[in-house]
Amino acid sequence: MRQPDNSKAGTQQGDGLAGKELLRVNNLTVRLNSTAGLVHAVEDVSFSVGEGETLGIVGESGSGKSVMARSLMSLLPKRATALRQGSIRLSGREIASLTERELQKLRGPAMAMIFQDPMTALNPVLRLSVQLSEPLQQHLGMNRQQARMRAIELLEAVGIPDAVNRIDQYPHQLSGGMRQRVVIAIALSCNPGLLIADEPTTALDVTVQKQILDLLSTLQRERRMGMLLITHDLGVVASRADNIAVMYAGRLVEIAPARTLFKFMQHPYTEALFNSIPRISDPSHTRLQAIPGRPPQLVKPAPGCAFAPRCPYAQQRCHRERPPMVKADDAGHLHACFYPVIRPVAAGVDPSALMQKRSGQ
Amino acid sequence: MTDMNTERQSDNQKPAQLRERDDIVLRVENLVVNFAVGKQTVQAVSNVSLDVARGETLGLVGESGCGKSTVGRAIMQLPSPTSGEVIFKGQDLTRMSGEQLRQTRTGLQMIFQDPISSLNPRRKVKDIIAEGLHIWRRPNQEARVREVMEAVGLDPDAAADRRPHQFSGGQCQRICIARSLALDPDVLICDEPVSALDVSVQAQILNLLEDMKQRYQLTMVFVAHNLAVVKNISDRVAVMYLGKLCEIGDTEAIYARPAHPYTRALLASIPDIDPDSNLPPDHLPLLQGDLPSPANPPSGCRFRTRCPHAQALCADREPVMQAVPGELTQGSLEQRSGKDHFVACHFPLV
Amino acid sequence: MLHKRTPQKIESRAQNFARALQQVFGRGFGPGFWLASFWLFVVAFCALFADWLPVRDPIDPVIANRLNGPFTSNILGADGLGRDILARLVHGARVSVVIGLTAVSIGMIIGGALGVLAGYFRGHFERALMAVLDIILAFPWLVLLLALVAFIGQSLFAISVAIGFLWIPAYARVARANTLSVVQREYVLAAKAMGASTPRILIREVLPNVILPVLAYGLVAMGLVIIVESALAFLGLSVEAPQPTWGGMISEGKRHLATAVHVAVIPSVTMFLTVLSLNFVGDRLRSRFDVRESNL
Repeated sequence: MRQPDNSKAGTQQGDGLAGKELLRVNNLTVRLNSTAGLVHAVEDVSFSVGEGETLGIVGESGSGKSVMARSLMSLLPKRATALRQGSIRLSGREIASLTERELQKLRGPAMAMIFQDPMTALNPVLRLSVQLSEPLQQHLGMNRQQARMRAIELLEAVGIPDAVNRIDQYPHQLSGGMRQRVVIAIALSCNPGLLIADEPTTALDVTVQKQILDLLSTLQRERRMGMLLITHDLGVVASRADNIAVMYAGRLVEIAPARTLFKFMQHPYTEALFNSIPRISDPSHTRLQAIPGRPPQLVKPAPGCAFAPRCPYAQQRCHRERPPMVKADDAGHLHACFYPVIRPVAAGVDPSALMQKRSGQ
Repeated sequence: MTDMNTERQSDNQKPAQLRERDDIVLRVENLVVNFAVGKQTVQAVSNVSLDVARGETLGLVGESGCGKSTVGRAIMQLPSPTSGEVIFKGQDLTRMSGEQLRQTRTGLQMIFQDPISSLNPRRKVKDIIAEGLHIWRRPNQEARVREVMEAVGLDPDAAADRRPHQFSGGQCQRICIARSLALDPDVLICDEPVSALDVSVQAQILNLLEDMKQRYQLTMVFVAHNLAVVKNISDRVAVMYLGKLCEIGDTEAIYARPAHPYTRALLASIPDIDPDSNLPPDHLPLLQGDLPSPANPPSGCRFRTRCPHAQALCADREPVMQAVPGELTQGSLEQRSGKDHFVACHFPLV
Repeated sequence: MLHKRTPQKIESRAQNFARALQQVFGRGFGPGFWLASFWLFVVAFCALFADWLPVRDPIDPVIANRLNGPFTSNILGADGLGRDILARLVHGARVSVVIGLTAVSIGMIIGGALGVLAGYFRGHFERALMAVLDIILAFPWLVLLLALVAFIGQSLFAISVAIGFLWIPAYARVARANTLSVVQREYVLAAKAMGASTPRILIREVLPNVILPVLAYGLVAMGLVIIVESALAFLGLSVEAPQPTWGGMISEGKRHLATAVHVAVIPSVTMFLTVLSLNFVGDRLRSRFDVRESNL
């Protein structure tokens, strides 16, 4: 019933933005087998990413964001996947139903992925030159010499000093930040249209994190890539993403252009998440507004809104019925809540104070 | 040679950042921790001195590998530091023998980063929390266990007989906190207590630690890499880089006027949650490069290889902790008396 | 009313029972595990109650039954001296089980204790111990075993001790490896911080986490012990005749392989099934504990 509604809403969200639509995901649902039962990892997720645009996907561990990313690349192990439904269109082409062989042609030139842990993303027994030139030879048909030259260019592009010599090193000779740069270089080697970065900086220190995020932003702007930046840290996406999608318990609960989201967040979860983060601008010993309870299990999801048990605004209806994605007032802003946050009169909250709290600091 | 001598001298002097106060509970002086890695010796902590007053929370920040966790463990004598003093309530823990140390150390307790690995999976929650009470044969164990469980927000009736794997990470961290409180310690050393937790649970635990601090009059050493978290909980902050202390002082002072280029770079690196703050740090020096190997640290100031302000002097001489200049003269009398900000840099930013 | 409700109730009761079973034994052991466990139960039962079971006398030769095939007057046939094979299997189980349990216990207790101590204290003690164990492991085990048996004799107990001695290095390694990973856990640090003494940490924090994987390894080891015993019996160095043992039965059966295959095959199959079951159950239990460890 709700599904056509959803996809329409998704289209509207994509329309308001610059750039041609690159990736469109409609009603993606992924369920995984586990020893505890069927895990509803991703439920009915729809969004789109334009060319040269960054979509930040924010969620806690277990919100399904990584499973979603992997399922976009069809990288989930077949045996563990109980169900994968929905449509994934990349540059207008449906890729959810492609065979493994066809997908292999797409991974690299059309879409590429960066993983969280640079320590395990590189093969420890191969030189960087081999790992970098392999996709170039395979997808772009370069010969060895060309591939090597291109690989050196790539390493330079991701800011690795002394690339000519570094290329013959092994991964263990590099620091964590350098390794992540190499991983990025490999991902970029075939000029992908879409880059999926799954927690690219979680394993890195703050100072290195900033370098890597800046690098990703620069490269993305230069190459007009579409990027999915997946993270648990609102701060990482706040100033870098064009749009931000918030996931909770396998579902999108809110999606909006970054500024709109931070100023006019509608979903109580987004608000709670935002308020629970300690701020550097707040004085010491500021009481944090913690979210009570804990994220739900994804094995047997309750019928209503997944956030209802922890939500301060939850009503009876929230526990019974699942709220659909609906449009908010601003362009491209969707949320899934029956009782969105700003209800100036009804909730008896002083709207100006609320606004101040959000935009101020 | 002369450099060596000056360094020696400065070592013998009392480090400037140590305060002359009566209510110092824990004082760490010239702490050195060496690890043997293969045949090499790596100095994980090098001449760190700091103190914590009663009821204070000292935040210890730095990137991974800077030795901040090692300092926390060396304070607990787990393992004992290579050299230096750890003075807890007037007694030097490093000079204590086994039995005496075991007894004195109960005044210091610790919670760890990974709450799940800090709980023995084969024991019941009530036994885990009561362990310290059992060891020291304290009276009224059951009542005490109930009390601390309630204090940390666990239902004693529901949780006492269960085992750790039946709890989520946040709940496990509550159990760890309850365990550490059971013996009624003076000092709680928290080693990255929230970094393994979900964002939404992190705030619960931070609030809980604040509450526990009030309720049990705790003094805390809070080791973390997240600067926002440290700011939220600390009265005083110490910044470490590659085994050395770079800067220490009042939280507000450090965050508002970082004097060490490293502190400044750290602060500039924090991703800002407000998308409108588009002043980012083009005017601020951005840190380049990676952490040098701790096995082979740079000469002089260890930060100089990544420092935008480094000069020849920085390679020659190791900077000594000194009061941050400038603040004293411009400040009012009030500010002067509350002044507490020290930096180890030849060219501090003022 | 009653009629309508009953089937549902039965179903829900069955479900409850299944759920309770699951809670006790966990999920996903599969039917193979239960089959293997059942077989081991049968073997253990025979070993315990061999004297009271309705089987013939295992050492009474009835010449008339010599080399009887299965399903004759002897259910599983008779051997070259006319002794009932079923009876000998049942009584032989006793030897296998006793040797298996004793040898494994000796290896487990001595090797396990050494391994835990080595893993906890590290340093010179660990290095020295590991060097000694490596030497024992490098020695050809059969030669070592023969020397031990020649030295301490051929009684059931002596043979158990000799085989148990061989298992010390393996157990020490398993225990040490598990201890090393447990000692790194923060709960050991937390216990130290609370002033727990070293014996207390070893007993309360380390041992409970090492003992389950070591016990699970014990089942696999027991399978191997049974094979080692049969190898000894094959060389005529196991428990002295006429006491029946499975290895001895196979050894005697080899003389009749041309005429009466069953004399050697039946004890072989019995032993095969037992060892297989031990391995299977041991493996399942071990993987279960491993998973649980990593979950925690």
